[in-house]
Amino acid sequence: MLKKRILFTLLYDDGQFMLSRNFRLQKVGDLTWLQKNYNFAHISFFIDELVVLDVSRGERNLSAFCKTLEALTHGCFIPIAAGGGLRSVDQARRLLRSGADKVVVNTPVFSNTELLKNLSQEFGQQCVVGSLDLKRSLGGDYQILVDSGTRALNSVASEELQRLSCDEIGEWYVNSVERDGTGQGYDLALLDQLPATWSVPIILAGGAGNASHLVAGLSDERVDAVATAHLFNFVGDGLKQARLSLLSSGVELANWPDVDKLLSNSVSNQTIDVC
Amino acid sequence: MSVIIVDCGIGNLWSVRSALRYLGYDVIVSSDPKEIAQADVLILPGVGSFRKAMEALRTSHIDEAIVEAVKGRGRKILGICLGMQLLANFGAEDGETAGLGLIPANVERFAVEAMGRLKVPHIGFNQVRSESRSFLFKGISSSAYFYFVHSFRLLADGLPGHAGLCDYGETFLAAYENENIFASQFHPEKSQTNGLKLLKNFLEY
Repeated sequence: MLKKRILFTLLYDDGQFMLSRNFRLQKVGDLTWLQKNYNFAHISFFIDELVVLDVSRGERNLSAFCKTLEALTHGCFIPIAAGGGLRSVDQARRLLRSGADKVVVNTPVFSNTELLKNLSQEFGQQCVVGSLDLKRSLGGDYQILVDSGTRALNSVASEELQRLSCDEIGEWYVNSVERDGTGQGYDLALLDQLPATWSVPIILAGGAGNASHLVAGLSDERVDAVATAHLFNFVGDGLKQARLSLLSSGVELANWPDVDKLLSNSVSNQTIDVC
Repeated sequence: MSVIIVDCGIGNLWSVRSALRYLGYDVIVSSDPKEIAQADVLILPGVGSFRKAMEALRTSHIDEAIVEAVKGRGRKILGICLGMQLLANFGAEDGETAGLGLIPANVERFAVEAMGRLKVPHIGFNQVRSESRSFLFKGISSSAYFYFVHSFRLLADGLPGHAGLCDYGETFLAAYENENIFASQFHPEKSQTNGLKLLKNFLEY
């Protein structure tokens, strides 16, 4: 059977990795910090996918982002999705040539359906991840935020989403702006905003603080994957411990043999130095 | 032994190369038909649409080079994901397109209507039932998990060679091997240690 997935999301801003709380960014450290505190090559054997988003608020430097992506994904044998500010097929191609398997689009979902069509024609629908940032308004309805969460669409989220033609989207990454970075757990009510007719996988993001939050997210049958972008809640071998605890509590996750066991004969002299 | 990853302009070559390097193999990424025709081992990865990829292979004459290496010179090839589909006779994605004709099967979209609540694309880790005689799956559990991301698939019906099968609404061809032609619908380079082992098996065949 198809297993559920745990994704780890890294937020990149001009050479630094960031912690986001309600979309306000705080610098944590650069690639060296990440490698030192996460031993990424090791940790990547305990997550199902990696998402790397360029959330730079200023002008984005695609070349520098691609370089970081290459360094990050070296030695990671899992799917990688990358995005942030994507506005052309060429930009997408550069990400795909720097280690990404899928590209993430946010604002263009609502403003540039031509781009979505071109991306899906060029790379296939499965390659396009639509990202939704949802925020509950004072009245209780949800709104869709675009442009790095700075602009709200003038409509109720569930109605706006009904209107979308989304044949070009292979997966949805649904994030809660209010829970983002809080560690209070996922907002499962986000899922009620999504049209029941959507038939592509849903990744739930925003608010995971510990393993039990991951369980709560994955237990909802509408959810195919959960993501966390919190650099501190799962620091060290936190992701490994979370996965092991989920597996032992019966959550349907894939497993695979330890890297040392399977490949020890042929690659005993090799280490994954950077990731 | 020259191992060439075929570059047809689309697809994630980086991760395949990175996996092979991790296993200790030197690999060349090439889009030169002469070089490809002379390779000892070919890997055809792919992300993208069938039609676009075949157009790219034809325009650059890489299609002939691959067939020359595999059919003419008996070199082994591994098609991955879209690369597997391109080895087939025919693809239905984005308008019907002829493939390389190395696997006698057609590529069609999952029969969505019959799949109930299953989602398409089929994305994530799923179990592959492999035959014990398979080379690709040597030393790998007969029900190991591999990473899939696709909306189109081949069916196993009547195919020669050994297969790995996967169940997702229907039983489809997850892996294929017949003489020097190997293919996987899943991404071994994205399937953690199971995938690394499978790539190692292919290279050691």
